[in-house]
Amino acid sequence: MSSSPSPAAIVPSPSSTAPASASANGTGASREVTQIAMLVAGVVLAGSGAQLFVAPGPWALVASAVLAGVAVLALGFIVPGKLRQTLIGFRFVASLLIALAVAAILGTLVLQGKPEALYRQRYGAVGDLIVALRLDDIFHSVWFGGLVALFGASVVSSAIQRWPVKLRSSGFFVCHVGLITSLLGAAASSTLSVKGRVDLHAGGESASAVAVTKSASGARVVPLGFALRLDRFDVVRYNAEYRVAFYAPERVKVGARLEERWKLKASFDPDLAKHRLPGGDGFRLKAIYPDFTVRPRPAAAGAGEPALEVTLDGRSQWLFPGGRLDGAGGLAVLFDRAMPKAPDVPTAVLVSADAGRALVRRAGGESAVRLEPDLHLADGLVRFGDLIPAASREAEYTTRSTEWRNPAVLLELREDGHTREALLSAQEGGALRLARAGALVFERRDDEVKAFRSEVTALAGETSRKAVVTVNDPFSFGGWTFYQANYDPKDPTYSGFEAVKDPGVSWVFLGFALICAGVAWMFYVEPRLRRGGVKRAPAGA
Amino acid sequence: MLQYIVFEHPFFAATGFLYGAATAAYAAAWRSTRVAVGRLGTALMAAAVVLNVSLVVGRWIEAGREPFKSLFESLVFLALCLGALYVVAERLYRTRVFGLPAAVMTFGCMGYALAKWDAEIVKLPPALQSPWFMPHVMVYFVGYAALAFATGVAVVQLLASRFPWVQRLTAMRAGTMLTGQALDLDKITYDVVRFGFVLLTLGLLIGSVWAKSAWGDFWVWDPKENWSLVTWLVYGAYLHLRKVKGWRGDRAAWLQIVGFAVVMFTYLGMGMLPTAEDSAHVYTGQ
Repeated sequence: MSSSPSPAAIVPSPSSTAPASASANGTGASREVTQIAMLVAGVVLAGSGAQLFVAPGPWALVASAVLAGVAVLALGFIVPGKLRQTLIGFRFVASLLIALAVAAILGTLVLQGKPEALYRQRYGAVGDLIVALRLDDIFHSVWFGGLVALFGASVVSSAIQRWPVKLRSSGFFVCHVGLITSLLGAAASSTLSVKGRVDLHAGGESASAVAVTKSASGARVVPLGFALRLDRFDVVRYNAEYRVAFYAPERVKVGARLEERWKLKASFDPDLAKHRLPGGDGFRLKAIYPDFTVRPRPAAAGAGEPALEVTLDGRSQWLFPGGRLDGAGGLAVLFDRAMPKAPDVPTAVLVSADAGRALVRRAGGESAVRLEPDLHLADGLVRFGDLIPAASREAEYTTRSTEWRNPAVLLELREDGHTREALLSAQEGGALRLARAGALVFERRDDEVKAFRSEVTALAGETSRKAVVTVNDPFSFGGWTFYQANYDPKDPTYSGFEAVKDPGVSWVFLGFALICAGVAWMFYVEPRLRRGGVKRAPAGA
Repeated sequence: MLQYIVFEHPFFAATGFLYGAATAAYAAAWRSTRVAVGRLGTALMAAAVVLNVSLVVGRWIEAGREPFKSLFESLVFLALCLGALYVVAERLYRTRVFGLPAAVMTFGCMGYALAKWDAEIVKLPPALQSPWFMPHVMVYFVGYAALAFATGVAVVQLLASRFPWVQRLTAMRAGTMLTGQALDLDKITYDVVRFGFVLLTLGLLIGSVWAKSAWGDFWVWDPKENWSLVTWLVYGAYLHLRKVKGWRGDRAAWLQIVGFAVVMFTYLGMGMLPTAEDSAHVYTGQ
């Protein structure tokens, strides 16, 4: 391929060619900018002034937005001149969007809806100013309502401008109708919705009213119009898990001080694979014991005590003098140097190391046999293995069962070319400290909550309806919607619900659908329709 | 840490390595006259995307839930969205000019994911067990990826108008230009921002519907909600200003970059806000 010079592959910036045409409209643009600045600043200042006399709230927001919106719209249509042109101009909408963005940002920099005293405590003298300017409730303030009003007036003016609507340019209209629908729905929601709490106990009394937490009317209790009963409440949890966890110390700033804290750096499934740790060391689990226990086992030695291997109910174990093994159905095996005393069980197998004999004692009598390897007794339930005449005891790690009752792992750590072992128990805790900073722990993860599940019944006269309410799956009945909202770890019968009656939400969602449809149509269908129109035009001409 | 990642999480290491290699190849393609260099960049990027898909799917299976819960998981998914979107854009616009910024961003996502490593997989709390969770996150992250890509284009646009060498190297280097036709960077940015804006709109509205089904309110002026709205408003302003004279070219490119800065703050900066403690959306844990 050649690298010969070529025409520039990047189209020059439009801005570099635009100034001439822009300057031709410079006066109009600067007048528009002035009008926009006056409108936005005027609304914010007027709203801030009105705020001194009107407390922020849903009605203040909606009333100011509607009044200011209607006033601006009316002015746009009545007053001759450029105001309406400004209202439907892209520059005005963009300026408003930025102004609304600034207000939204401000609402995340200043705490919202907190008690007045908190502002003084947190911000000092500025706190008083925040409260005086009502920046403590920006999104219900009159000046914010004014900005929404300007936005609404602009959207309405722009939509009217597109009337009558043509298919080729309907996206803009639908999108803006969607915006207006959503804003009106939000206004209805803000002023007419009722929100409150319903607290119920499984098997307890039904609720017939809502303790109101949010309502523009100021009512404290609102009747449901039916009864709601909690039949059952469950906290569903994830299964418990055990993990091999690697912690490393980390300096954390606590207030003005730096403190060293252990932080989880990596976590591994308890398996028998080799693993590498952050830092380069490695480990593997040599054994995993779900139900850990320690049993004695003989080590070959010239002196010591006798040891007998016994298998009962499929479990093998070494017995030392005085040892006992119990099986199902009241069967017990006892081992000692001399013949042990029979315990009070239906069937006892007594073994004497010195005599080298085994005695089976039942209610119906007893029988003795010579002790030999692979001897089966008690109808084959007991099997004897080797008898070691002199052995020393050593501990054997094993598991009682496959149930995760007392999990432990035998861990082999490799660091700097050396290996060492440690037994880590999930119940007893303990950590294996590394030569480098860090520690390995075998631990249980708490049974985290998977779901809060309430079974409820709504009763209205002869009608009743059962439902299951979980987070993200509310229950609607009689105009109310119930959301799973609370529980009490100390009272397993209690379940708390958020009850909401919101006549505006359907309009909000309808507006959302229109916005999505309008934007998609405007950006992706209209250009194709226009291209199609351009192509067809010569043929039709 | 690197030994641990390579040994315990080889797919992650391989994906990160491939994105890094793609970055190097695309950087070389900016200067090289050989077609093979550019093709190597494309091949490495495509391979990285394929591995990234397997990384996300593997995590999905291992966790038994959508892998978007933690910051680490979301960064890995963002890298995938960015990589996949770039590969599509390379085919669509027939150019490798944007390979370098796209590869740098994907590699950056993986690098940052490494810094925000999940010590272990966390369970999904009840509030996130919603059919809206997956579409909400997916739509947003594809949108974020589109806006990140648009930022890459805007940066190239601004550099090209200031530095002749950028203008030259994006001209006819065999590794970068596939069509030999002029690239309208301003229009490409606009097209991609429009796509991103549609997704931001969808994501915002899906989030609102989800909030309604979970908490009973479609909007509570939560800090994260506010900043999501701010991103939408800024990009709404961008799209409107594009219709105003004098607001194309460099100005539009700068506004796009500002918009993306807002997106990044919305994604990563919530913890810095004094109101963060009131937010139900701030990433916690690692």
